[in-house]
Amino acid sequence: MIAIAVLSGFVLAVFAPFVHRLTKPLSGWVLAALPAAIFFYFVQMMPQIAHGETVRAAWDWVPSFGVTLSFYVDGLSLIFALLISGIGAFIVAYAGGYLKGHKDHGRFMGFILAFMGSMLGLVLADNLITLFVFWELTSITSFLLIGFNHDKPRSRRAAIQALVVTGGGGLALLGGLLLLGVAGGSFELSELLASGSIAENPYYLPIFLLVLAGAFTKSAQVPFHFWLPNAMEAPTPVSAYLHSATMVKAGVYLLARMNPILGGTDIWELVLPVFGGITLLTGTLLGLRQTDVKQILAYTTVASLGLLVMLIGIGTDVAITAAVLYLISHALFKGGLFMVAGSIDHSTGTRETVRLSGLGKVMPLTALAGLLAGLSMMGIWPFFGFIAKEVIYEATLHHDPRMWITAVAIIGNSLMLAAAALVGLRPFFGKLLQTPKEPHEGSPSLWLGALTLGVLGVVFGMMSHFSGEYLVAPMASAIGGRDIHTALHLWPEVSLPLALSGVTIFLGFIWFWQIDHLRSLLYAATQRLWGPDHGSDQFLAALVRVSKNLTGLLQTGRLNFYITFTLTMLALTLGIPVIAYGLLPTSIVLPDVALHIYGVFGLTVVGALALLFARSRLQAILSMGVTGFSVALIFLIFGAPDLAFTQFMVETLSVVIIALVLLRLPVDTYDRRDFLPSLRDAGLAISIGVAFTSIMMAIGAEPLDLTLTEYFAANSYLEAHGRNIVNVILVDFRALDTLGEIAVVLVAGLAALALIKVRDGILTSPDANRVTREDEA
Amino acid sequence: METVTLPAIDIARDMGLIAPEITMAVAAMALLMLGVFQSDARSRLVSNLSAVLLVAVAAFVVMTTGEPKLAFGGSFKVDAFASFAKVLVLCGSALAILMSRGFLHHEKLERFEFPVLIVLATLGMMMMISANDLISLYMGIELQSLALYVLASFNRNSARSTEAGLKYFVLGALSSGMLLYGCSLIYGFTGTTNFEVLGTVVTGGEMNIGLIFGVTFLIAGLAFKVSAVPFHMWTPDVYEGSPTPVTAFFAAAPKVAALALFMRVLGDPLLPLIHEWRQIIFFISVASMVLGAFAAIGQNNIKRLMAYSTIGHMGYALVGLAAGTVAGVQSVLVYLAIYLVTNVGVFVCILSMRRKEGMVEEISDLSGLSRTRPMMAFALAIFMFSLAGIPPLAGFFGKFLVFFAAVDAGLWQLAVIGLLASVVSAFYYLRIIKVMYFDEPAPVFERGIGTEMRLILTGSAALVLLFAVFGGPIISMAQHAAVSLMG
Repeated sequence: MIAIAVLSGFVLAVFAPFVHRLTKPLSGWVLAALPAAIFFYFVQMMPQIAHGETVRAAWDWVPSFGVTLSFYVDGLSLIFALLISGIGAFIVAYAGGYLKGHKDHGRFMGFILAFMGSMLGLVLADNLITLFVFWELTSITSFLLIGFNHDKPRSRRAAIQALVVTGGGGLALLGGLLLLGVAGGSFELSELLASGSIAENPYYLPIFLLVLAGAFTKSAQVPFHFWLPNAMEAPTPVSAYLHSATMVKAGVYLLARMNPILGGTDIWELVLPVFGGITLLTGTLLGLRQTDVKQILAYTTVASLGLLVMLIGIGTDVAITAAVLYLISHALFKGGLFMVAGSIDHSTGTRETVRLSGLGKVMPLTALAGLLAGLSMMGIWPFFGFIAKEVIYEATLHHDPRMWITAVAIIGNSLMLAAAALVGLRPFFGKLLQTPKEPHEGSPSLWLGALTLGVLGVVFGMMSHFSGEYLVAPMASAIGGRDIHTALHLWPEVSLPLALSGVTIFLGFIWFWQIDHLRSLLYAATQRLWGPDHGSDQFLAALVRVSKNLTGLLQTGRLNFYITFTLTMLALTLGIPVIAYGLLPTSIVLPDVALHIYGVFGLTVVGALALLFARSRLQAILSMGVTGFSVALIFLIFGAPDLAFTQFMVETLSVVIIALVLLRLPVDTYDRRDFLPSLRDAGLAISIGVAFTSIMMAIGAEPLDLTLTEYFAANSYLEAHGRNIVNVILVDFRALDTLGEIAVVLVAGLAALALIKVRDGILTSPDANRVTREDEA
Repeated sequence: METVTLPAIDIARDMGLIAPEITMAVAAMALLMLGVFQSDARSRLVSNLSAVLLVAVAAFVVMTTGEPKLAFGGSFKVDAFASFAKVLVLCGSALAILMSRGFLHHEKLERFEFPVLIVLATLGMMMMISANDLISLYMGIELQSLALYVLASFNRNSARSTEAGLKYFVLGALSSGMLLYGCSLIYGFTGTTNFEVLGTVVTGGEMNIGLIFGVTFLIAGLAFKVSAVPFHMWTPDVYEGSPTPVTAFFAAAPKVAALALFMRVLGDPLLPLIHEWRQIIFFISVASMVLGAFAAIGQNNIKRLMAYSTIGHMGYALVGLAAGTVAGVQSVLVYLAIYLVTNVGVFVCILSMRRKEGMVEEISDLSGLSRTRPMMAFALAIFMFSLAGIPPLAGFFGKFLVFFAAVDAGLWQLAVIGLLASVVSAFYYLRIIKVMYFDEPAPVFERGIGTEMRLILTGSAALVLLFAVFGGPIISMAQHAAVSLMG
């Protein structure tokens, strides 16, 4: 059943365009039936989960690698599933009205449903790899949705940017999940959660960092926050659903999910609050700088995500409760506010706060929805947001005596309050201004969702007992990995948190009152500031530059460079072990041989040196011949006459072959290398030579395996009646091989002869075959 | 020291065991004769027959898979591992022949030698895969390589193509030299060329520096064949310079064969030396992944981009090899199967990039493909996502299995570096998608890529897309093969 709930979204996504075409004016409502059904399916699981039970369902996928398609429902995943399907139903209906008449409307509905399926899969997955698969699917569907208006360059840039940031972070997350699976001994989250913290594991740090990379990119934490405001290029239903209520919370979900496994360590309690706090401040400050309603909302989303990360990082019972409260209330009010913003845009044709005023008279229902959501976001009694804020202050006060987290929270919250007032209240009051389109109330699909979410914000606040027991406690317990029960009070006690709420509201209204000054101040302060948004472009450009330089450096297209490179690698491969293992000969002992033998040695060296300084081909070949022949002489002197004769043969043959080749090449080509390149080549040659020699000497010092020698020494005369072992091997023990070799040389000689006899003109003619055949005829 | 007894040569039985290879060799010569003695119009017939031959031999290999058996005094091994790799190679080659026809026809390069050379190269690859002796290993490699050198310069009227062939040959000869040097060192210090005996000698004896240097040279030679860094220099130039169907062939079957050989040598007889060779594989794998990722970003030519992509993917596959476990070998086999299918698909698209004035191969030529050729753009997008390793496409499972095997073997650093490299490489795969879907359309490509091309494209796209659902049998077959290799 759970699998059907998750996968049905994908199935319907495929058919969405057809369904859309069939049921055109009402397609939004028709398609919304599926998320609604899923929502009610999860609703009926609530009592069970609230009693502390969990549900798990699994199917084999890649069993040998521990991958199962498994789902797990507990307090945390259930609340997320409810938010995703519930808000999803309203969004699908909303999109039905919002995009009416768009040429790709059906496709859009498909994308949204596929996204919903991915998101449900992500939060319900029990298996780490299943989780990752759905994680990346949310990135891809998000990419498709942001780039939906792909004729706009800004959309394209935003889509690519979001995919690179979240998809890349996702791959880092995969590394973390793999390590976690191996370190924790299981790929099932349910088992990992049961076995508790892995803080003592040696892999803890890499796991922590990689999981953090995934969570921070997805949930737009500083310094990865820039993609989220850019993603507002997407149609508003997408912004409301993906980039406020659901997808961007995936990172928060992951951190919450991992809290019992990775949380509670010093580094966790340091990194999360610090980055969360910075994100909270950055988001609010950058948000108030904006005049576009959607941009303001996007930045406050960034800030809210920061707040959530901060609370999860604190990790006390109260902090987790606060995170849960804020997460639920944020999903409700932010989803609602985005839908309101979309409706305003839809009916007036502008989203600029300075041009929106007095709309309450013409759009009463939208105004009511905006008001409800706005007040909840501001944290006004008796909204759910109010309770959340009280508990947040309680948590920060308990946790940190020096108050800096509390101070950050107060500033952040008060700035957020100003933003909420700016978006949720201001457009509806005051004098009606001239807007590009004549403002009018939209169809029910456009205001019903926002209104319902707004009303829920009040209902949850009023029925705090119910929401505490069925929503907050199960989820907080699942995050904490222990029973967490905090009584929620709608009626606040007179205490420090209440006082801080008062301070927050006071400050917030000051910001709101002075918003124009504040905005121009912030604008001036940040205008010339370099930020990661611009930085990401620079980074990508730099990447391309580095790549071009790299290939320009390595891939010159010149063969002799490639050979030099390969030989350098060879010299390194040989040389590093020689030096590392100390194989370089420590002393040079001159062999005790007759003087004329030194003469032969000298000849070898002279040949090699002459080769180095040879300027023409002929000279080079001759010098090489000198070395070759003197090596053969050494073989001869040290008792290997057969080897020596083979070497003489090879040398002679090489000279003959090269001479044949030279007939077809210009002889007067001179080597025009400068002194430095010559020196470099010489250095390379010498280092390879030294390395080889050292290795050979080291190898020679080891005892040789004498099995074969002894065998031939014992059997050569008895079995083959020969006294020269080498000869016996060649003509007797391996006679067939020798025959084969002779045959090969013969055939090769014949082929070479045939090639040489072919006339020049034929070689270059494209119809060589035909010409040869005519010749034969 | 324990001794192994190698089976004596029994010609009738041994011939039976190498029947697929014999069939290939005889058929290659027969096809050559057919081509030579019939008129030029027969090149199409030869290419049809070659494709049929390759598929038939693949079917034969599948049917005769059984318990591991040794032939010709232990120099040739037939087992499930060999069958798996051979089927991949044969399919890759058959597809390469089918894909080449339209291109060769348009470029007036239709010659009967082309399919015959591919059949010969494939025979060499089958020898490599089944090689159980240093000598048969070298034989297989050279048979394959010589055919490939000729194929690279197949368009001999084009300076680029002949240059590609020459570069490939010179660097290939250099690497063969290193490989042979390694083989002779190994032989010199163990007294055997046979893998069965080698395995016992290596287990029994103590570490010998000569042996280790021998293995190093062997690995260097093999690394050249899989175009792993630092022996990759030939790859971009040869990929770009060769006629596109040849590049398509190079990118698929030979890589499978060379990696199979790698696994055969390191995973079986040299497994006791894992601590030594793992360091080398670790290094070349990291270098390949990183270079493949960074160098590809700046490319404008799609064939060159695929060359760097290949280098990177070989790096990922080597991650699994570095694990040196059954899971590692299994993951590499699955990786190769997926890699082969995806590459075939990509090259069908590249081979379809034809305008009136001829073939084009710049990435910018793909601009707006989603509007001019929506199906092709969709398929190419699937392949690119898969190459980038994004779930739930096939490429993700390949990467996952490989990294899983590495982490399981304690090589988590390798997995992390690999994943970071995939982040970088995702960037350039996504760029192609961006160009196709978001940029203004470039002039449209010619219609009529042919039925077989369309079938191959649809088939490979479906495989990549649905691997998550139907990939199970491939993974379990790979497991069977890996167990047969490592016991």
